[in-house]
Amino acid sequence: MLKKRVIITLTFNNGVLFRTKNFNPDYRYTKNFIDLWSIDELMIIDVSKRKNFKKFQNIIKDFSRNCFVPITVGGGIKDIDQVNQCFNNGADKILLGSESIKNPKLISLVSKKFGNQSIIQSVDFKKIDNKSYKIMCQSGKRLTNIDIIKLCNSYINKGVGEILLNDVSNDGSLLGYDLKFLKKISKKIKCPTLALGGAGKWEHILEIFKKTKIQAACTQNIYHFTEESILSAKRFLKKNNIDIRV
Amino acid sequence: MKIGLIDLNTGNMGSLVSAMKKLNVDVKICKSKEDMIGIKKLILPGVGAFKDFMKKIKTKNVDKEIKKLSMENVSILGVCLGFQILFDQSMEHGFTQGLSMVTGKVDSLTTINKKLKIPHVGWNSCKYDKKNPLFDGISDYSDFYFTHSYCVKEHDKKIRIAITEYDGSNFTSAIASKNVYGVQFHPEKSQFNGLRLLKNFSELSQC
Repeated sequence: MLKKRVIITLTFNNGVLFRTKNFNPDYRYTKNFIDLWSIDELMIIDVSKRKNFKKFQNIIKDFSRNCFVPITVGGGIKDIDQVNQCFNNGADKILLGSESIKNPKLISLVSKKFGNQSIIQSVDFKKIDNKSYKIMCQSGKRLTNIDIIKLCNSYINKGVGEILLNDVSNDGSLLGYDLKFLKKISKKIKCPTLALGGAGKWEHILEIFKKTKIQAACTQNIYHFTEESILSAKRFLKKNNIDIRV
Repeated sequence: MKIGLIDLNTGNMGSLVSAMKKLNVDVKICKSKEDMIGIKKLILPGVGAFKDFMKKIKTKNVDKEIKKLSMENVSILGVCLGFQILFDQSMEHGFTQGLSMVTGKVDSLTTINKKLKIPHVGWNSCKYDKKNPLFDGISDYSDFYFTHSYCVKEHDKKIRIAITEYDGSNFTSAIASKNVYGVQFHPEKSQFNGLRLLKNFSELSQC
Protein backbone atom coordinates (compact mmCIF):
# COMPACT_ATOMS: atom_id res chain seq x y z
CA MET A 1 0.00 0.00 0.00
CA LEU A 2 1.36 3.41 -0.99
CA LYS A 3 1.79 5.60 2.10
CA LYS A 4 0.75 9.22 2.58
CA ARG A 5 3.72 11.54 2.99
CA VAL A 6 4.70 14.33 5.34
CA ILE A 7 7.10 16.71 3.61
CA ILE A 8 9.11 19.37 5.40
CA THR A 9 9.53 22.57 3.44
CA LEU A 10 12.49 24.76 4.29
CA THR A 11 12.69 28.26 2.86
CA PHE A 12 15.99 30.08 2.60
CA ASN A 13 16.41 33.84 2.29
CA ASN A 14 19.92 34.85 1.21
CA GLY A 15 21.28 31.58 2.55
CA VAL A 16 19.53 31.86 5.92
CA LEU A 17 16.70 29.58 7.02
CA PHE A 18 13.47 31.56 7.38
CA ARG A 19 9.82 30.74 7.71
CA THR A 20 7.46 32.66 5.45
CA LYS A 21 4.11 34.37 5.83
CA ASN A 22 2.09 35.31 2.76
CA PHE A 23 5.18 34.49 0.70
CA ASN A 24 7.51 36.88 2.56
CA PRO A 25 10.37 35.86 4.84
CA ASP A 26 9.02 36.42 8.32
CA TYR A 27 10.99 34.72 11.03
CA ARG A 28 14.50 33.39 11.22
CA TYR A 29 15.22 29.86 12.37
CA THR A 30 18.34 29.18 14.30
CA LYS A 31 18.42 25.79 15.91
CA ASN A 32 18.91 22.54 14.20
CA PHE A 33 15.38 21.29 14.58
CA ILE A 34 14.93 19.03 11.61
CA ASP A 35 14.78 15.35 12.29
CA LEU A 36 16.06 14.07 8.98
CA TRP A 37 15.34 10.47 9.97
CA SER A 38 11.57 10.70 10.44
CA ILE A 39 10.47 12.89 7.56
CA ASP A 40 9.36 11.35 4.27
CA GLU A 41 10.82 14.01 2.01
CA LEU A 42 12.57 17.32 2.22
CA MET A 43 11.79 20.36 0.09
CA ILE A 44 14.27 23.24 0.01
CA ILE A 45 13.15 26.52 -1.55
CA ASP A 46 15.12 29.69 -2.21
CA VAL A 47 12.82 32.65 -1.50
CA SER A 48 15.47 35.38 -1.81
CA LYS A 49 14.41 38.42 -3.83
CA ARG A 50 17.84 38.58 -5.42
CA LYS A 51 18.95 35.02 -6.02
CA ASN A 52 22.49 33.90 -5.35
CA PHE A 53 22.31 30.56 -7.12
CA LYS A 54 25.80 29.40 -6.13
CA LYS A 55 25.30 30.09 -2.44
CA PHE A 56 21.98 28.27 -2.51
CA GLN A 57 23.58 25.26 -4.25
CA ASN A 58 26.05 24.95 -1.38
CA ILE A 59 23.12 24.58 1.02
CA ILE A 60 21.76 21.76 -1.17
CA LYS A 61 25.14 20.02 -1.17
CA ASP A 62 25.29 20.24 2.61
CA PHE A 63 21.86 18.75 3.13
CA SER A 64 22.32 15.97 0.60
CA ARG A 65 25.35 14.62 2.42
CA ASN A 66 23.34 13.72 5.49
CA CYS A 67 19.85 13.20 4.21
CA PHE A 68 18.70 9.78 3.02
CA VAL A 69 15.22 10.76 1.91
CA PRO A 70 14.35 12.46 -1.38
CA ILE A 71 15.24 16.13 -1.67
CA THR A 72 13.31 18.54 -3.86
CA VAL A 73 14.94 21.82 -4.77
CA GLY A 74 13.22 24.95 -6.08
CA GLY A 75 12.74 28.68 -6.05
CA GLY A 76 13.30 30.68 -9.20
CA ILE A 77 14.65 27.89 -11.39
CA LYS A 78 14.82 29.35 -14.90
CA ASP A 79 16.64 27.00 -17.27
CA ILE A 80 17.95 23.48 -17.88
CA ASP A 81 21.46 24.51 -16.84
CA GLN A 82 20.24 25.38 -13.34
CA VAL A 83 18.29 22.13 -13.25
CA ASN A 84 21.47 20.19 -14.11
CA GLN A 85 23.32 21.88 -11.26
CA CYS A 86 20.55 21.09 -8.77
CA PHE A 87 20.70 17.39 -9.69
CA ASN A 88 24.49 17.34 -9.57
CA ASN A 89 24.44 18.84 -6.10
CA GLY A 90 22.07 16.26 -4.67
CA ALA A 91 18.52 17.13 -5.68
CA ASP A 92 16.28 14.16 -6.49
CA LYS A 93 13.48 16.30 -7.83
CA ILE A 94 13.12 19.90 -8.79
CA LEU A 95 10.26 22.24 -8.03
CA LEU A 96 9.30 24.47 -10.93
CA GLY A 97 7.33 27.65 -10.34
CA SER A 98 5.58 30.17 -12.53
CA GLU A 99 8.53 30.12 -14.94
CA SER A 100 6.63 27.21 -16.53
CA ILE A 101 3.83 29.64 -17.52
CA LYS A 102 6.32 32.02 -19.14
CA ASN A 103 8.54 29.35 -20.64
CA PRO A 104 6.39 26.27 -21.41
CA LYS A 105 9.29 24.37 -23.02
CA LEU A 106 11.17 24.06 -19.73
CA ILE A 107 9.03 21.17 -18.46
CA SER A 108 9.51 19.02 -21.56
CA LEU A 109 13.24 19.73 -21.64
CA VAL A 110 13.64 18.54 -18.05
CA SER A 111 11.33 15.57 -18.42
CA LYS A 112 13.16 14.28 -21.50
CA LYS A 113 16.45 14.28 -19.68
CA PHE A 114 15.46 13.33 -16.13
CA GLY A 115 11.99 11.83 -16.52
CA ASN A 116 8.54 13.06 -15.43
CA GLN A 117 9.05 11.75 -11.91
CA SER A 118 11.80 14.31 -11.38
CA ILE A 119 9.51 17.34 -11.67
CA ILE A 120 7.15 18.80 -9.10
CA GLN A 121 5.26 21.73 -10.54
CA SER A 122 4.07 24.37 -8.08
CA VAL A 123 0.67 25.91 -8.72
CA ASP A 124 0.38 29.04 -6.57
CA PHE A 125 -3.20 30.11 -5.91
CA LYS A 126 -4.91 32.74 -3.83
CA LYS A 127 -8.44 32.99 -2.50
CA ILE A 128 -9.95 36.33 -3.50
CA ASP A 129 -12.80 38.00 -1.56
CA ASN A 130 -13.60 34.73 0.15
CA LYS A 131 -15.06 33.19 -2.98
CA SER A 132 -12.97 32.85 -6.13
CA TYR A 133 -9.51 31.39 -6.59
CA LYS A 134 -6.83 32.88 -8.80
CA ILE A 135 -3.50 31.54 -10.06
CA MET A 136 -0.56 33.72 -9.14
CA CYS A 137 2.77 34.11 -10.82
CA GLN A 138 6.06 35.95 -10.27
CA SER A 139 6.50 34.72 -6.68
CA GLY A 140 2.92 35.60 -5.84
CA LYS A 141 3.11 39.16 -7.13
CA ARG A 142 0.77 38.93 -10.09
CA LEU A 143 -2.76 37.51 -10.36
CA THR A 144 -3.88 35.78 -13.54
CA ASN A 145 -7.16 34.51 -14.93
CA ILE A 146 -5.88 31.06 -15.87
CA ASP A 147 -8.19 28.13 -15.05
CA ILE A 148 -6.52 25.98 -12.41
CA ILE A 149 -7.56 22.54 -13.71
CA LYS A 150 -6.71 23.44 -17.30
CA LEU A 151 -3.32 24.66 -16.16
CA CYS A 152 -2.62 21.46 -14.19
CA ASN A 153 -3.64 19.27 -17.13
CA SER A 154 -1.39 21.17 -19.49
CA TYR A 155 1.49 20.68 -17.05
CA ILE A 156 0.81 16.93 -16.87
CA ASN A 157 0.71 16.67 -20.67
CA LYS A 158 4.06 18.43 -20.90
CA GLY A 159 5.60 15.98 -18.44
CA VAL A 160 5.40 16.85 -14.75
CA GLY A 161 5.23 14.05 -12.18
CA GLU A 162 3.55 15.75 -9.24
CA ILE A 163 1.69 18.99 -8.59
CA LEU A 164 2.15 21.12 -5.50
CA LEU A 165 -1.02 23.06 -4.69
CA ASN A 166 0.41 26.08 -2.94
CA ASP A 167 -2.10 28.23 -1.08
CA VAL A 168 -0.53 31.69 -0.99
CA SER A 169 -3.34 33.31 1.02
CA ASN A 170 -2.92 30.65 3.68
CA ASP A 171 0.89 30.70 3.80
CA GLY A 172 1.98 31.00 7.41
CA SER A 173 -1.58 31.29 8.75
CA LEU A 174 -1.50 28.03 10.77
CA LEU A 175 -5.31 27.93 10.35
CA GLY A 176 -5.37 24.65 8.46
CA TYR A 177 -5.46 23.72 4.79
CA ASP A 178 -8.30 24.95 2.57
CA LEU A 179 -9.99 21.53 2.65
CA LYS A 180 -13.03 22.29 0.53
CA PHE A 181 -11.02 23.65 -2.36
CA LEU A 182 -8.25 21.07 -2.16
CA LYS A 183 -10.79 18.25 -2.08
CA LYS A 184 -12.43 19.50 -5.26
CA ILE A 185 -9.15 20.09 -7.09
CA SER A 186 -7.22 16.98 -6.00
CA LYS A 187 -10.06 14.77 -7.24
CA LYS A 188 -9.69 16.16 -10.76
CA ILE A 189 -5.90 16.05 -11.14
CA LYS A 190 -4.52 12.88 -12.72
CA CYS A 191 -1.11 12.85 -11.04
CA PRO A 192 -0.13 12.77 -7.35
CA THR A 193 -0.84 16.08 -5.59
CA LEU A 194 0.89 17.81 -2.67
CA ALA A 195 -0.57 20.59 -0.52
CA LEU A 196 1.28 23.48 1.09
CA GLY A 197 -0.03 26.39 3.14
CA GLY A 198 -1.91 26.53 6.40
CA ALA A 199 -0.87 23.56 8.54
CA GLY A 200 -0.66 24.63 12.18
CA LYS A 201 -1.23 21.38 14.05
CA TRP A 202 -1.21 17.65 13.44
CA GLU A 203 -5.01 17.57 13.16
CA HIS A 204 -4.77 19.68 10.00
CA ILE A 205 -2.59 17.03 8.38
CA LEU A 206 -4.97 14.29 9.54
CA GLU A 207 -7.92 16.19 8.03
CA ILE A 208 -6.31 16.64 4.66
CA PHE A 209 -5.54 12.91 4.40
CA LYS A 210 -9.02 11.92 5.60
CA LYS A 211 -10.99 14.34 3.46
CA THR A 212 -9.06 14.85 0.22
CA LYS A 213 -7.05 12.85 -2.32
CA ILE A 214 -3.90 14.85 -1.53
CA GLN A 215 -0.93 12.43 -1.38
CA ALA A 216 1.49 14.52 0.61
CA ALA A 217 1.13 17.27 3.20
CA CYS A 218 3.86 19.89 3.16
CA THR A 219 4.52 22.09 6.13
CA GLN A 220 7.17 24.45 7.36
CA ASN A 221 5.82 26.49 10.25
CA ILE A 222 4.35 23.76 12.38
CA TYR A 223 7.70 22.47 13.57
CA HIS A 224 8.70 25.89 14.63
CA PHE A 225 5.85 26.43 17.05
CA THR A 226 5.32 23.02 18.52
CA GLU A 227 7.65 21.05 20.70
CA GLU A 228 6.37 17.85 19.15
CA SER A 229 8.66 15.81 16.99
CA ILE A 230 7.83 14.66 13.49
CA LEU A 231 7.89 11.11 14.73
CA SER A 232 5.13 11.84 17.24
CA ALA A 233 3.11 13.47 14.45
CA LYS A 234 3.41 10.33 12.39
CA ARG A 235 2.43 8.12 15.31
CA PHE A 236 -0.63 10.33 15.78
CA LEU A 237 -1.57 9.92 12.10
CA LYS A 238 -1.05 6.17 12.22
CA LYS A 239 -3.22 5.87 15.34
CA ASN A 240 -5.92 7.63 13.37
CA ASN A 241 -5.73 5.03 10.60
CA ILE A 242 -3.67 6.94 8.07
CA ASP A 243 -1.27 4.75 6.11
CA ILE A 244 2.01 6.36 6.90
CA ARG A 245 5.62 5.25 7.36
CA VAL A 246 6.62 5.40 11.00
CA MET B 1 37.21 -3.95 -2.21
CA LYS B 2 35.77 -1.07 -4.18
CA ILE B 3 32.28 -1.06 -5.62
CA GLY B 4 31.94 0.46 -9.07
CA LEU B 5 29.19 3.02 -9.64
CA ILE B 6 28.24 3.57 -13.25
CA ASP B 7 27.89 7.31 -13.94
CA LEU B 8 26.55 8.40 -17.30
CA ASN B 9 25.72 11.97 -16.29
CA THR B 10 22.02 11.26 -16.31
CA GLY B 11 21.03 11.99 -12.78
CA ASN B 12 21.87 12.34 -9.16
CA MET B 13 24.90 10.25 -8.29
CA GLY B 14 25.50 12.27 -5.15
CA SER B 15 22.92 10.49 -3.05
CA LEU B 16 24.34 7.02 -3.78
CA VAL B 17 27.85 8.23 -3.08
CA SER B 18 26.70 9.77 0.25
CA ALA B 19 24.93 6.56 1.20
CA MET B 20 28.02 4.44 0.53
CA LYS B 21 30.16 6.90 2.43
CA LYS B 22 27.82 6.62 5.40
CA LEU B 23 28.32 2.85 5.23
CA ASN B 24 32.10 3.23 4.95
CA VAL B 25 32.13 1.41 1.63
CA ASP B 26 34.67 2.57 -0.95
CA VAL B 27 33.23 3.36 -4.35
CA LYS B 28 34.76 4.01 -7.73
CA ILE B 29 32.85 6.22 -10.13
CA CYS B 30 32.92 4.52 -13.54
CA LYS B 31 32.36 6.85 -16.48
CA SER B 32 33.92 4.63 -19.12
CA LYS B 33 34.84 1.04 -19.94
CA GLU B 34 38.38 1.65 -18.72
CA ASP B 35 37.16 2.77 -15.29
CA MET B 36 35.55 -0.65 -14.83
CA ILE B 37 38.74 -2.70 -15.01
CA GLY B 38 39.21 -4.90 -11.95
CA ILE B 39 35.80 -4.05 -10.45
CA LYS B 40 34.36 -6.91 -8.39
CA LYS B 41 30.96 -5.42 -7.70
CA LEU B 42 28.88 -2.97 -9.63
CA ILE B 43 25.90 -0.71 -8.98
CA LEU B 44 23.92 0.50 -11.94
CA PRO B 45 21.95 3.55 -10.80
CA GLY B 46 19.44 5.16 -13.05
CA VAL B 47 17.47 8.31 -13.13
CA GLY B 48 16.07 9.41 -16.43
CA ALA B 49 14.38 7.81 -19.37
CA PHE B 50 15.11 4.33 -20.80
CA LYS B 51 15.81 5.42 -24.39
CA ASP B 52 18.18 8.22 -23.43
CA PHE B 53 19.98 6.01 -20.92
CA MET B 54 20.51 3.10 -23.37
CA LYS B 55 21.87 5.49 -25.98
CA LYS B 56 24.42 6.85 -23.51
CA ILE B 57 25.43 3.43 -22.24
CA LYS B 58 26.00 2.20 -25.80
CA THR B 59 28.03 5.17 -27.05
CA LYS B 60 30.57 4.52 -24.33
CA ASN B 61 30.58 0.74 -24.88
CA VAL B 62 29.78 0.41 -21.21
CA ASP B 63 26.91 -1.99 -22.06
CA LYS B 64 29.27 -4.70 -23.33
CA GLU B 65 31.54 -4.30 -20.33
CA ILE B 66 28.63 -4.70 -17.88
CA LYS B 67 27.58 -7.89 -19.65
CA LYS B 68 31.13 -9.17 -19.65
CA LEU B 69 31.52 -8.53 -15.94
CA SER B 70 28.26 -10.32 -15.21
CA MET B 71 29.61 -13.40 -17.02
CA GLU B 72 32.69 -13.19 -14.81
CA ASN B 73 30.49 -13.47 -11.74
CA VAL B 74 30.72 -9.83 -10.70
CA SER B 75 27.68 -9.02 -8.54
CA ILE B 76 25.56 -6.34 -10.16
CA LEU B 77 22.80 -4.29 -8.53
CA GLY B 78 20.45 -2.31 -10.77
CA VAL B 79 18.52 0.51 -9.14
CA CYS B 80 15.26 1.91 -10.57
CA LEU B 81 16.00 2.59 -14.26
CA GLY B 82 19.28 0.70 -13.79
CA PHE B 83 17.10 -2.27 -12.79
CA GLN B 84 14.81 -1.90 -15.78
CA ILE B 85 17.60 -1.80 -18.37
CA LEU B 86 18.73 -5.28 -17.22
CA PHE B 87 15.69 -6.62 -19.11
CA ASP B 88 15.13 -7.24 -22.84
CA GLN B 89 13.12 -4.18 -23.81
CA SER B 90 11.06 -1.19 -22.73
CA MET B 91 8.14 0.70 -24.23
CA GLU B 92 9.10 4.03 -22.62
CA HIS B 93 9.11 6.74 -25.35
CA GLY B 94 8.67 3.90 -27.90
CA PHE B 95 10.28 0.44 -28.16
CA THR B 96 13.90 0.30 -27.01
CA GLN B 97 16.15 -2.70 -26.52
CA GLY B 98 17.67 -3.24 -23.09
CA LEU B 99 20.75 -5.16 -21.95
CA SER B 100 18.94 -8.55 -22.03
CA MET B 101 20.76 -9.81 -18.94
CA VAL B 102 17.39 -10.89 -17.56
CA THR B 103 14.46 -12.13 -19.66
CA GLY B 104 11.40 -9.92 -19.49
CA LYS B 105 10.13 -6.53 -20.53
CA VAL B 106 9.35 -3.10 -19.16
CA ASP B 107 6.06 -1.32 -19.68
CA SER B 108 3.91 1.40 -18.13
CA LEU B 109 2.26 0.67 -14.77
CA THR B 110 -1.00 1.54 -16.51
CA THR B 111 -0.67 -1.65 -18.57
CA ILE B 112 -1.30 -3.62 -15.35
CA ASN B 113 -4.27 -1.45 -14.46
CA LYS B 114 -5.22 1.54 -16.55
CA LYS B 115 -6.68 3.33 -13.53
CA LEU B 116 -3.35 3.64 -11.73
CA LYS B 117 -2.13 7.20 -11.16
CA ILE B 118 1.41 7.60 -12.48
CA PRO B 119 4.09 8.16 -11.43
CA HIS B 120 3.89 5.78 -8.49
CA VAL B 121 5.71 7.97 -6.02
CA GLY B 122 6.30 7.71 -2.29
CA TRP B 123 6.95 5.09 0.37
CA ASN B 124 5.56 1.65 -0.24
CA SER B 125 6.23 -1.75 1.27
CA CYS B 126 7.99 -4.80 -0.16
CA LYS B 127 6.50 -8.20 0.47
CA TYR B 128 9.06 -10.96 0.15
CA ASP B 129 8.48 -13.66 -2.39
CA LYS B 130 11.64 -15.56 -1.55
CA LYS B 131 14.32 -15.27 1.07
CA ASN B 132 17.36 -13.45 -0.26
CA PRO B 133 20.53 -12.14 1.42
CA LEU B 134 19.84 -8.72 -0.13
CA PHE B 135 17.06 -8.25 2.44
CA ASP B 136 18.95 -9.71 5.43
CA GLY B 137 17.94 -7.95 8.65
CA ILE B 138 15.09 -6.06 6.97
CA SER B 139 11.64 -7.19 8.03
CA ASP B 140 8.92 -8.23 5.60
CA TYR B 141 6.62 -5.38 4.47
CA SER B 142 9.32 -2.76 5.10
CA ASP B 143 8.90 0.59 3.35
CA PHE B 144 11.14 1.87 0.57
CA TYR B 145 10.98 5.01 -1.56
CA PHE B 146 9.65 4.54 -5.10
CA THR B 147 9.35 6.97 -7.96
CA HIS B 148 8.60 5.49 -11.38
CA SER B 149 5.92 5.14 -14.07
CA TYR B 150 7.19 1.91 -15.63
CA CYS B 151 7.58 -1.59 -14.19
CA VAL B 152 9.06 -4.96 -15.18
CA LYS B 153 6.80 -7.67 -16.61
CA GLU B 154 6.76 -11.13 -18.18
CA HIS B 155 9.89 -12.35 -16.44
CA ASP B 156 10.60 -15.77 -14.93
CA LYS B 157 8.67 -15.95 -11.64
CA LYS B 158 11.64 -17.70 -10.05
CA ILE B 159 13.79 -14.57 -10.03
CA ARG B 160 11.24 -12.42 -8.17
CA ILE B 161 12.25 -11.80 -4.55
CA ALA B 162 9.80 -9.02 -3.61
CA ILE B 163 6.50 -7.63 -4.79
CA THR B 164 4.79 -4.33 -4.08
CA GLU B 165 1.10 -3.48 -4.14
CA TYR B 166 -0.09 -0.19 -5.60
CA ASP B 167 -3.79 0.63 -5.47
CA GLY B 168 -4.80 -3.02 -5.67
CA SER B 169 -2.27 -4.07 -8.34
CA ASN B 170 0.99 -5.92 -7.74
CA PHE B 171 4.31 -5.42 -9.50
CA THR B 172 7.79 -6.92 -9.07
CA SER B 173 9.91 -4.65 -6.88
CA ALA B 174 13.09 -6.76 -6.51
CA ILE B 175 14.76 -9.61 -8.40
CA ALA B 176 17.79 -11.85 -8.02
CA SER B 177 19.03 -13.89 -10.95
CA LYS B 178 22.30 -15.56 -10.00
CA ASN B 179 24.75 -12.67 -9.51
CA VAL B 180 22.41 -10.06 -11.00
CA TYR B 181 20.18 -8.14 -8.59
CA GLY B 182 17.69 -5.37 -9.20
CA VAL B 183 15.37 -3.16 -7.17
CA GLN B 184 12.68 -0.81 -8.46
CA PHE B 185 12.88 1.50 -5.42
CA HIS B 186 15.71 3.83 -4.40
CA PRO B 187 17.67 2.27 -1.52
CA GLU B 188 19.85 5.41 -1.28
CA LYS B 189 16.68 7.38 -0.44
CA SER B 190 15.02 4.83 1.81
CA GLN B 191 16.56 5.62 5.19
CA PHE B 192 17.63 2.72 7.42
CA ASN B 193 16.08 -0.02 5.27
CA GLY B 194 17.76 1.24 2.14
CA LEU B 195 21.14 1.70 3.79
CA ARG B 196 20.87 -1.84 5.16
CA LEU B 197 20.13 -3.21 1.71
CA LEU B 198 23.17 -1.44 0.24
CA LYS B 199 25.27 -2.79 3.10
CA ASN B 200 23.96 -6.29 2.39
CA PHE B 201 24.89 -5.93 -1.26
CA SER B 202 28.38 -4.71 -0.39
CA GLU B 203 28.85 -7.71 1.91
CA LEU B 204 27.54 -10.38 -0.47
CA SER B 205 30.14 -13.04 -1.01
CA GLN B 206 31.12 -13.69 -4.58
CA CYS B 207 29.31 -16.70 -6.00
